[in-house]
Amino acid sequence: MNKNYVLPGIAIADLGLYLEKKQALIIADLHLGYEEMLNKQGVFIPRINFRDIKKRLRSMLEETKPARVIINGDLKHEFGEISRQEWREVLEMLDFIEKYAKEIVLIKGNHDTILGPLVKRKGLEILDELYITEYNALILHGHKLSRSKEFKKAKTLIIAHEHSAIGLREGQRVELYKCFLKGKYGRKKLIVMPSMNAVAIGSDVLREKLLSPFLQQELSDFECWLVEDKVYYFGKLEELYS
Amino acid sequence: MPIEFQKEKYSDEQIFASMHPLLRDWFKETFGKFTEPQRYAILNIHSMQNTLITAPTGTGKTLAAFAAILNELITLSEIGRLEDKVYCIYISPLRALSNDIERNLNEPLQAIKEKAEKLGKKINIRVAVRTGDTPTSKRASMLKKPPHILITTPESIAILLNAPRFKEHLKEAKWLIVDEIHALAENKRGVHLSLSMERLQRLNPELCRIGLSATIAPIKEIAKFLVGLKNEKEFRDCKIVDVQFAKGLDIVVLSPIRDMINVTQEEIQERLYTKLDELIQQHKTTLVFTNTRSATERVVNHLKDRFPGRYEGIIGAHHSSVSREKRLSIEERLKKGKLKAVVCSTSLELGIDIGYIDLVVLLGSPKSISRALQRIGRSGHRLHDTIKGRILVLDRDDLVECTILTKCAKEKKLDRIHIPTNCLDVLAQHIYGIAIAERIHERELFQLVRRSYCYKDLPKKDFNEVLSYLAGEYSSLETRHVYGKIWYDRETGYIGRRGKFARVIYMTNIGTIPDEAKVKVKIGKETIGYLDEAFLERLRKGDVFTLGGEKYRFLYSRGMTIQVKPAEKIPPTIPNWVSEMLPLSFDLACEIQRFRKLLAEKFQLGKKKEEIIEFIQEYAYCNRFTAETIYNYFYQQHRYAKIPHDGLLLVEQIKDAEGNHVVFHTLYGRRVNDALSRALAWVMSKLTSADIMVSINDNGFILTSQRKMPVENALSILQKSEIEIVLKQALEDSEILKRRFRHCATRALMILRQYKGYEKSVAKQQRSSSLLINAVKRIDPDFCILREARREVMEDSMDLKNARKVIEWLREGKIKVEKIQLPFPSPFAFNIFAMGRSDLIRIDNRLNFIKRMHAKVLEKIGGKGE
Repeated sequence: MNKNYVLPGIAIADLGLYLEKKQALIIADLHLGYEEMLNKQGVFIPRINFRDIKKRLRSMLEETKPARVIINGDLKHEFGEISRQEWREVLEMLDFIEKYAKEIVLIKGNHDTILGPLVKRKGLEILDELYITEYNALILHGHKLSRSKEFKKAKTLIIAHEHSAIGLREGQRVELYKCFLKGKYGRKKLIVMPSMNAVAIGSDVLREKLLSPFLQQELSDFECWLVEDKVYYFGKLEELYS
Repeated sequence: MPIEFQKEKYSDEQIFASMHPLLRDWFKETFGKFTEPQRYAILNIHSMQNTLITAPTGTGKTLAAFAAILNELITLSEIGRLEDKVYCIYISPLRALSNDIERNLNEPLQAIKEKAEKLGKKINIRVAVRTGDTPTSKRASMLKKPPHILITTPESIAILLNAPRFKEHLKEAKWLIVDEIHALAENKRGVHLSLSMERLQRLNPELCRIGLSATIAPIKEIAKFLVGLKNEKEFRDCKIVDVQFAKGLDIVVLSPIRDMINVTQEEIQERLYTKLDELIQQHKTTLVFTNTRSATERVVNHLKDRFPGRYEGIIGAHHSSVSREKRLSIEERLKKGKLKAVVCSTSLELGIDIGYIDLVVLLGSPKSISRALQRIGRSGHRLHDTIKGRILVLDRDDLVECTILTKCAKEKKLDRIHIPTNCLDVLAQHIYGIAIAERIHERELFQLVRRSYCYKDLPKKDFNEVLSYLAGEYSSLETRHVYGKIWYDRETGYIGRRGKFARVIYMTNIGTIPDEAKVKVKIGKETIGYLDEAFLERLRKGDVFTLGGEKYRFLYSRGMTIQVKPAEKIPPTIPNWVSEMLPLSFDLACEIQRFRKLLAEKFQLGKKKEEIIEFIQEYAYCNRFTAETIYNYFYQQHRYAKIPHDGLLLVEQIKDAEGNHVVFHTLYGRRVNDALSRALAWVMSKLTSADIMVSINDNGFILTSQRKMPVENALSILQKSEIEIVLKQALEDSEILKRRFRHCATRALMILRQYKGYEKSVAKQQRSSSLLINAVKRIDPDFCILREARREVMEDSMDLKNARKVIEWLREGKIKVEKIQLPFPSPFAFNIFAMGRSDLIRIDNRLNFIKRMHAKVLEKIGGKGE
């Protein structure tokens, strides 16, 4: 297989990142229960998120055979109440991943405020961030800045949260694709992951004002990889502005 | 006598004899005599016959409908038998029209009331308007004391049908008047109304339906639309009163520029406004129609700038983006004769009384004969006046088009409108409403639905699928309480209400007009204007675009707001585009094709220039200058290439730096061309394994590709296939399907605009719908609401029926195909090349799209990656 490396030893594996030295697969922003939120707003979208994420994740897990899976935030959508069915989906997803990988690491996202009791029951804990010594890299969700020692030490940051996507434009047509971004945050290297959410593609980084405090700078120099049936390297964002 | 024309005209004496003395006296004092439509219609309605009245505005149509009704109400009131219930429901598509009608009814009623009082009698007939604007207090008092004549809109009547208490007042309504029925019949508002009419008829089987229509064809179909079916096969009876051309017609095409080719843009503008100013100055009050809203503003500004002082305070722009207060003020000043000119888009096309107008100017082709007559008919708003219109054209295609249009208008040949049928989204909305109002068996419901003209051929399968959708059967059993909208017992076949919020949801989400998505454009905190939503998607950081004549640089967007900064000296990087241009009607297109053939024959026979020019003058009733311009245009086409016509499809092939272009001279209007070109491009892309670019306009289309295109082969495959199947595949990833799906999903209440007290912005609807369409495709690619979106695109937005007809003609050999190679586009192809550029469609799916764009980028960055 032709591998797309964003950095040495860090390969893009469909919508996830594979850390070879750690045998770890990072995925992010599954947003289970996304349709329920839409239902509550009066959008009667059929429930496909769980089904489709599972399908895609299965092939990612079979392809990479990781020892551990790192979920970089927002496993679950929604801040408020959670229904029984939604609990079941979260548990089922964790059980499903456990069948393939012996270790699961959860990193806290902005939506994960109420996952505590549930993951405790599964014997997991939720971290604010995870430092990977082999890469001098810090994995964090990216909705807020960090002040930790590890943050200062890290040469590379891996964030999610933004649901990064790129709208390719031609004439009247615009098609949105999920994407990885690589650029700089101060002197550190910064990698942005797309979301695993199967319902929504994401927000167009060429057009929208970005949310993450890590992404408030000029992005023209950022490189991008678009993900559809496979990974497509599209060079720097400045090429796509025109 | 199911549907027939009313032949007998009654004498004024006969009609007066049928009238109550009070009404008779009022009529005699006010008018003295009856108008033509009144002579045909009043006694029909008096004897409760369904009647469709078609006549130009200002011919007493409204009173023709109301006279017999007023008569009966006065009689009942006098003998004290007028009950507290609605006798007559009047429905008009325009809220603005409602207030006009109320005023026009209250005038005679007040006069009659006073007359009666003098005789010691008491006559009290109540008229009330009920629209979305009616305040709650007024609604409440209407419930207590219902009006005898209820004036309302298609949306409000659907709401009233579901209001349990008010519905009681409607149960014995005897008359239903539908005004401007021609404007309703051709869109989904009319489809929606057709079902409401059946629901009213079900309440009172004796209901008498009256339709009022402007100049339109086919009039018999409009009559059928009005009355619906009385059983499985037959339509209800209807009398058609047709006095379409009661007025004289003075209509001329003018081209302000002599030489339409060697002329700069500035010169065109200069001559155009000089001519326009001249016309306005020669008349008392002029109404100017443009084809787009932005043009409306532009014309007003230009007139003010070019003729300082002349138009200050006496000219106005009137279109749907102008605020309500401003519009009303313009209408008011127009009625009082205080304006010299009003420039509008479509907003003044329909019949609000706008006072005395002695000239209508159309800027550019109105694209259909009916629309031209409708617009020009706004002039001479008095009986027996001649209506006067001038069409200003700026290019040669427009000149030919408008010249033939004028000929057809003079010969009373009208183009036919298209009435949408079997719309599953509207059906879903109505069934939801019916289920809230009552428990009903599906068999009875199906029967009710099939009584409507628009659903007379609805397949049972489609009906069942809509029921299944409404019952939430596209979701799993355990979530059905979320997705199910109606209660549906498959065992017994009964349907009914589900959930306690059903009624509120229905009342707040009803309707068929999609919310128009507007993006707010801001500099800092200041709003400077609005853009089309589709335009926003194409904007990238740094793009420069024009808005209201100024240039701006795009910074970023947040939801439906964008931030920009002024960019004075930089040329726009992205062209403006008109999202929905008026399409040329198929019938008018065919007339132009016929004209092309006549000229082609004359050129082939080598007729002399003089002879041909004389022929054109005679055939099209035009002046010598017009005929000469047309002659020169056709002569150039004949000499350089060949004249395409209704028996000859000219296909010209041109190769340039951009690639291979194939021009198809299919002058059938852009609705047909949209369907033909996409289907053919799809076949071509499969044949050549390459991307095809499509550019279209009313007169033809161009396919562009890097590869050589096998034209004959592609055409022959298209002739052998069913175009609907090909087109369906070509549309799968198209922008238009996504946009129309949002509208359909909102109508079918899959996306609620108002829910639990929150109003959803269009932006949110838009985002929701793009998620929805992907999810729906994954659970069922043939889901009924998705299928409806495809139908709407193919049948309503495009013209699948006539595209199929054209292919049929090709198959039968009625149209021959001739291919020629040319170094440059022929004169007839100029405009397709020039205008089409802004409307490019690539035929490839999402996956091929990214592959192609990737290849492009790789070329630029030198093959790195992967």
